[in-house]
Amino acid sequence: MKMIRSLLQKGRCWTNTHKVRVLIIAVVLVLAAPWPARGQYVDPCCALLSAGLASITNALQSVIGGGLNSILATDQSMQQFEQNVVWPQNLINQARALVGDLQSVFNQIQFLTHMQVNSATLANSQQLESNLLSRNPNQIGQTSGNYASLYGQVPLATDASPPMRDLVDMTDAAAQDAMKRAIEIDALSDLELQAASQINQSIQNAAPGSAPIIEAQADAWLVRANAYTQAATADLMRLRAIDLANASADIKMGATNTTNLRQQLMNLLQHN
Amino acid sequence: MHYFGFALFLVIFTSLMATASTRRRVAVIAVTGVLVSTIVVAPPAAEAQTSIVQAIQAVLNVIKGVIETALNGINTVRSAINSLFQTFVWPVQLINQAKAQITQMSNRYRTRMAGIINLKLNSATLPAPQSLENLMRDHRVNNFNTLTQSFGAAYRPIPSMSDASQADREMSDMDDALALDSLKALKVSDNATDAELKIAESIETSASQSAPGSAPFLSATAVASSIQSQALTQKMLAAELRQEAAHIAHDNGFRKRGAAFTSQLRGAIVNLLQHN
Repeated sequence: MKMIRSLLQKGRCWTNTHKVRVLIIAVVLVLAAPWPARGQYVDPCCALLSAGLASITNALQSVIGGGLNSILATDQSMQQFEQNVVWPQNLINQARALVGDLQSVFNQIQFLTHMQVNSATLANSQQLESNLLSRNPNQIGQTSGNYASLYGQVPLATDASPPMRDLVDMTDAAAQDAMKRAIEIDALSDLELQAASQINQSIQNAAPGSAPIIEAQADAWLVRANAYTQAATADLMRLRAIDLANASADIKMGATNTTNLRQQLMNLLQHN
Repeated sequence: MHYFGFALFLVIFTSLMATASTRRRVAVIAVTGVLVSTIVVAPPAAEAQTSIVQAIQAVLNVIKGVIETALNGINTVRSAINSLFQTFVWPVQLINQAKAQITQMSNRYRTRMAGIINLKLNSATLPAPQSLENLMRDHRVNNFNTLTQSFGAAYRPIPSMSDASQADREMSDMDDALALDSLKALKVSDNATDAELKIAESIETSASQSAPGSAPFLSATAVASSIQSQALTQKMLAAELRQEAAHIAHDNGFRKRGAAFTSQLRGAIVNLLQHN
């Protein structure tokens, strides 16, 4: 305490003797002292700021809020339209259910096509028939042998004229080609039936947006199937063309034989 | 930070003033102190209030200008899309019209076409052909054995070994077999055709109750059915190919045997002439 009193006594003495310096210190202190922040409620600057913020709020509510509400109303209208008219869930489920029901019909048809229709009773004909109905392209190599066993070979050169041998060989070839094509077409149609069934199964699990993709794939398969049908039709037309050509060849050979016979008879009469 | 600087300045300035020995020094320290306090230590002057007003006005201008214009534009575009969907792409009226057309066409054609395809075509007059004809056309696939028996009754069995050569018997057996195979395949095909017609009717009925979003499912399954239909057509074509091939093979077989007979006849005549 004594020290404090002594210090205060000294300070008072120094202040009394250096009044100018104290005044200068006081002035500088006033100039450099940090001023407290101004109150927000009484400052006119804050009043302006508050009015400005209120204007911004109004603008946000009317301009942005109003605009967003209009967009929301339009979007809600679109959503309702698309849900109720374009993609109604119940109708999509109904369509899926129908596809599921049709799968059983697909399976039934596939089963039908695998029914055995073999009917031959003798060994050679049974063998050829079994080969023709095999649906197995790997058995095409045996078709010609089975065919020859049943229908015989091309006559020897000593037994038939060259035109007749050509005709017989060509006819055999066309018949065998058609039989081989029939095996191919059976195998292909089996694969098409499998593919159709698989596609139908995938439709059951599709979405409205993915169903057209599956449809496009099915379209491609249909184009392919049409091409195979055309290939089979082409072979059928070839067969009929050969049949027609054979009928014509029979006439031609008949004419040739008649001419030859007439010539030989004339020779015979001249000799006698 | 500002208060710390002020305190430091106050301590230094006060101590310098207190220890200054001459009036001249007091004057220099005082001037220096005033300069330092006003330039370095004193807080920066507050900005003018007019800049705040300008800033707020700028924000309001942005809201009422760029943002309002953009929102109006978005709303206009979305309204146009909505209108496009409802009036041009998926107009409810035309959707309903399409559904009604399906129903109307189903009612108009389905029964008539079913009546046509189900007309009885049977024409045989004798018992055996009548039986075969009935079996050929009954669309059933569980009576193949009866069909074979009926075929044998109408066309007779193949000749016995004492009545025909082995070649003739085999050829006849093959002809009969392929004919029977085709008849059986046609029964299968008729049965499958009935199933396909049911599929077509189901799809059509469902289409009359569908929506634009569910129709692709029906289209896809219809195309899958078309593939199946093509496969069945191919099966029939394969049977036709076999049948036609056997037909020309049969004719060709006669040619081969004719050549063999001619050769044998020629040999017999030569032998006969030599003996005479």
